[in-house]
Amino acid sequence: MYRLKVLLIKEWRESLRNKMVLFGVIFLPLILVGTSVFMLTTGVAAEDPIAQVVLFNTSLMYFMLLPAIIPLAIAVYSIVGEKEQTTLEPLLATPISDTELFLGKALASVIPAVLVNWISFGLFLGVTRLLVGGFLLQTLTLPWLASIFGLTPLLALFSVGVTMIVSSRASDARAAYQFSSLAILPGLVPLIVYSSMKTIVDMRLILLEAALLVVAGAVVLYFAVKLFRREQILTRWK
Amino acid sequence: MITANGLTRRFGEITAVDGLDLHIERGEVFGFLGPNGAGKTTTIRMLSALIAPTSGSATIAEKTLGKDNRAIRERVGVLTETPGLYKRLSAWDNLLFFARLYRIDRPEQQAEKYLKMFELWDRRNGLTGTFSKGMRQKLALARALLHEPKILFLDEPTAGLDPEAAKMVRELIESLRSKERTIFLCTHNLDEADRLCDRIALFKSRLLTVGDPQSLRERMYGRRTVVHLANPNPGIEGQLDLPFITKTEWIDGRLLISLSDPETENPILVRKLVELGADVQFVSELKVSLEDLYLDLMEGNHVST
Ligand SMILES: Nc1ncnc2c1ncn2[C@@H]1O[C@H](COP(=O)(O)OP(=O)(O)OP(=O)(O)O)[C@@H](O)[C@H]1O
Ligand SMILES: [Mg+2]
Repeated sequence: MYRLKVLLIKEWRESLRNKMVLFGVIFLPLILVGTSVFMLTTGVAAEDPIAQVVLFNTSLMYFMLLPAIIPLAIAVYSIVGEKEQTTLEPLLATPISDTELFLGKALASVIPAVLVNWISFGLFLGVTRLLVGGFLLQTLTLPWLASIFGLTPLLALFSVGVTMIVSSRASDARAAYQFSSLAILPGLVPLIVYSSMKTIVDMRLILLEAALLVVAGAVVLYFAVKLFRREQILTRWK
Repeated sequence: MITANGLTRRFGEITAVDGLDLHIERGEVFGFLGPNGAGKTTTIRMLSALIAPTSGSATIAEKTLGKDNRAIRERVGVLTETPGLYKRLSAWDNLLFFARLYRIDRPEQQAEKYLKMFELWDRRNGLTGTFSKGMRQKLALARALLHEPKILFLDEPTAGLDPEAAKMVRELIESLRSKERTIFLCTHNLDEADRLCDRIALFKSRLLTVGDPQSLRERMYGRRTVVHLANPNPGIEGQLDLPFITKTEWIDGRLLISLSDPETENPILVRKLVELGADVQFVSELKVSLEDLYLDLMEGNHVST
């Protein structure tokens, strides 16, 4: 556990010095929150409570996408960065276990993704309440809260797993980003379902989505763990 | 300290290391020489428990490879082929990260000790991305030493460094010599191996030969004395009827004499030459460079055990 902590601190220290990572983790969420609130307070929406409710619901969807987007930059860098700097071998020469290494790399992205998403969500609610009015918050039903709080870790975990697998095979960060972006697809599913079925968010859908994510996450993590063996890392990663 | 029996590693069709038998004593500086692709890095990776051998066994610092891998990693230090530093972190943060992974008692003190020893203390807060090659190599060496490993594996420590930086690193290695520390040194630099190592192994997938540099030369070429004569007389070697001479030849007007014990035989040889009327100008030992030995062995000119 101690080594895991040491690794996490190292990952975050490096991340804080990386512009790409900072953009994905801090600026992107801020931009999304900013634009959402902006749309709610201006134009048609300001005069039309119905439009505001629709826009508010749409904005909530962003918080289903963010948990998949935020970890991308961290996860890509934490794998591709090690490869580019050829630090994997000295790292693997230490007594760190394969499990500690895997957990460190995964949690280094999952933890900020979950926290940043929740914080952005809180920020969004706070600012909306202040600028638009509390009545919108009534739209925030239990299923919504459950999906944003409950699904966030699952979405982040899935995204991180996919990114770790892709990054271990990719030779440069750009390629890794492109392929890993596919990991935001599960976050889009509810968006598509809700808009096409014109239903309101309901608990059954969320449980279904959660179950699917657990299965998908387990499959992805299974393969990611298999890739994270010393032997594999040193002889197979490009 | 290191024992390997039939250590073999294959990558698909390629056999990178083929049945390596080694025995290295505590405190020894052991040179491991071989051309590109010989399997040196693969050997280090196996001996430091980074990759598993396809077959064969090894004991490293009294621990069995494959069984006590974590214990082996705790006891060995590895200087990898590339320095492998986190360029966005300072020298200090790089060292402390590794010190903590090794869970050593006083990480700060150890980092300070080696930064000072390697004259990097003033640059400890600099990002390693801004360091010169030589500085990076020194920092990587410091990292390999932080946990005071009993065995140190050095994979081409001076490769790619300018002569001055290479000299500095070489001197550092020299200073690391100790009864307690065994050093396994991979290198292409034969001069370096000659100067630093107690014993060297020439290796190309298989072990070609092992021994201390001097006795390797002698084993391959015997010992030879070169005599410069003011009056090179082509017939003179025929009259040198001394029992210890195994071979005589002329090279560029100098007489080359093979014998086994020049310390006691040279005086007799010189007396005899003078008796035969030769004007002896210089008498010296013919030094075979390790390079000649290496090249001959690699080309398979000599079969040696
Ligand atoms: N991960 C790998 N996959 C496939 N082949 C490999 C792998 N690692 C090494 N090899 C092969 O094993 C052989 C030995 O490689 P190794 O890196 O050990 O040589 P080396 O002696 O360190 O060479 P150099 O002096 O160039 O560093 C080479 O033919 C190499 O191509
Ligand atoms: Mg090598």
